[in-house]
Amino acid sequence: MIRMYHVTKRYGDVTALRDVSLKVGKGEFCYITGPSGAGKSTMLKLLYGAERPTEGKLLVGGVDVSKLRGRRLPALRRSMGVVFQDFKLIDTRSVAENVGLALEVIGTPRPVIERRVAAVLSIVGLRGRGHEYPPTLSGGEQQRVAVARAIVNDPSILLADEPTGNLDGAMAIEVMEILQSIQLRGTTVLVATHDAGLMERFPYRKLRFEHGRLVSS
Amino acid sequence: MHALQHILRRAIRSLWEQAYLNSVATFVIAAALLLMGVYLTVQFNLNAIVDSWDSDVHVSAYFKDDVPEQRRFELRDELAARREVASVRYFSEEDARRWLIDRVADIEPVLDELGPGVLPASLEITLVPERSNPEAIAAFARSLSSTDFDDIDDGREWVERFHAFLSLLQLLGAVLGALIVLAALFLVANTVYLIVYNRRDEVEIQKLVGATTTYIIAPFLLEGAAQGVLGGVVAIFGLWGVHRLLVVRLQEALQLGVAGDLVFLPVSWRLALLATGVVLGVLAAGVSVRRFLSTAA
Ligand SMILES: Nc1ncnc2c1ncn2[C@@H]1O[C@H](COP(=O)(O)OP(=O)(O)O)[C@@H](O)[C@H]1O
Ligand SMILES: [Mg+2]
Repeated sequence: MIRMYHVTKRYGDVTALRDVSLKVGKGEFCYITGPSGAGKSTMLKLLYGAERPTEGKLLVGGVDVSKLRGRRLPALRRSMGVVFQDFKLIDTRSVAENVGLALEVIGTPRPVIERRVAAVLSIVGLRGRGHEYPPTLSGGEQQRVAVARAIVNDPSILLADEPTGNLDGAMAIEVMEILQSIQLRGTTVLVATHDAGLMERFPYRKLRFEHGRLVSS
Repeated sequence: MHALQHILRRAIRSLWEQAYLNSVATFVIAAALLLMGVYLTVQFNLNAIVDSWDSDVHVSAYFKDDVPEQRRFELRDELAARREVASVRYFSEEDARRWLIDRVADIEPVLDELGPGVLPASLEITLVPERSNPEAIAAFARSLSSTDFDDIDDGREWVERFHAFLSLLQLLGAVLGALIVLAALFLVANTVYLIVYNRRDEVEIQKLVGATTTYIIAPFLLEGAAQGVLGGVVAIFGLWGVHRLLVVRLQEALQLGVAGDLVFLPVSWRLALLATGVVLGVLAAGVSVRRFLSTAA
């Protein structure tokens, strides 16, 4: 599903990733781990095309992401779900609208959007909270809205950047269970995290980064 | 199809949520269109007047003082018999005097003061339509005997000067119109940039969840079109107001009956004005969204 060949990413003088080569199979659950500043977020950004590799080649589902132009990038993103580290919710839109956005941009009919949104909101434990607005929610609730939006379009790849970073223990476990259930339905899941306890409780393959290098996989 | 519904909903909501900025954009467009409309109305009316002159050219041949009345009538009948002449009218000194007194109030004492001979008698000759072009008229004027006539006015000189004036006005209008459009485009584009900027989170997230550029831009273009239509309607109503005002004022100022003919822009021109507004709105929106997307990557 994901293949990287000698990928290097530099931001000016800072080298965020150095010569990374790896392979993640379809339907796999994988952690991207390592200390803060190791390049975890950069890895995910390369995968959803928010950044381009400085060197190397990057394939997602057989598509060379480093060369995506025009309409191909939106097409890639529609097949993905992304939980952003900073959630990226629209404060002036209701929870339901935030979640429905991923379906709206692909021209899904309104009634279908409403049904799907209600379904994923109950998956993340926010049943009936669709009319509320993000600023009125707790950090954990906002995190779960972000997860709901990432899974609403049944993505074939789910990328999550520190999805439990703002959650207390019980809530973190709940979110991890949701991600697990997504993977069980055949979705490839990549979770960037440095939470060792969580990785112990939910043991999966770890791609460990240090100073931009992949040190173990 | 459903995408279209979403786009429409987004555009309408933005119009509503950012009513202030949208009103600013709308009024800028309205002001630009109003200026252009006033200019077009003036141009249109002047064109209409000149056209009526063009279809109503006649040659005025002024008799020398010493030509006896008998000879004047002979000349009139001679000319009337010519093939290229449609009609000839004898305009006596007294006719000329009455014509002027009818039109210019209080001129009678002035004419009395000046005494006879100020307004010579003349023949007013209308040519057949085929011979009403400038060259034929000039040739005809030359063919008139200079022993009997003092001055031959083929009416062309004045009309031509006015044509030149109109061309100049047209050129000026085109330059001014372009400047107005550019200024409006600049102002509206900057206003729309603020509208886009206020929705930057939404735009960024739309991109991240896989919206195409077209999908992101479309609501803003619709919003621009709405500004254009609204601005156009406001401008046309404003123009109508200005027109009413001018008609009344002109009628008060000159009692010449000219003002009654001051016409409002025809429907097709009004539609063109509206279309200009829409183009302006859409173009401005397109420019600013593009600018926003390229700077905000
Ligand atoms: N947009 C950017 N511009 C410059 N440097 C950046 C940018 N994004 C990340 N970096 C740098 O790249 C390195 C890796 O960052 P990141 O991928 O966010 O690490 P992590 O998510 O593992 O904490 C860090 O040194 C960070 O400062
Ligand atoms: Mg990070």
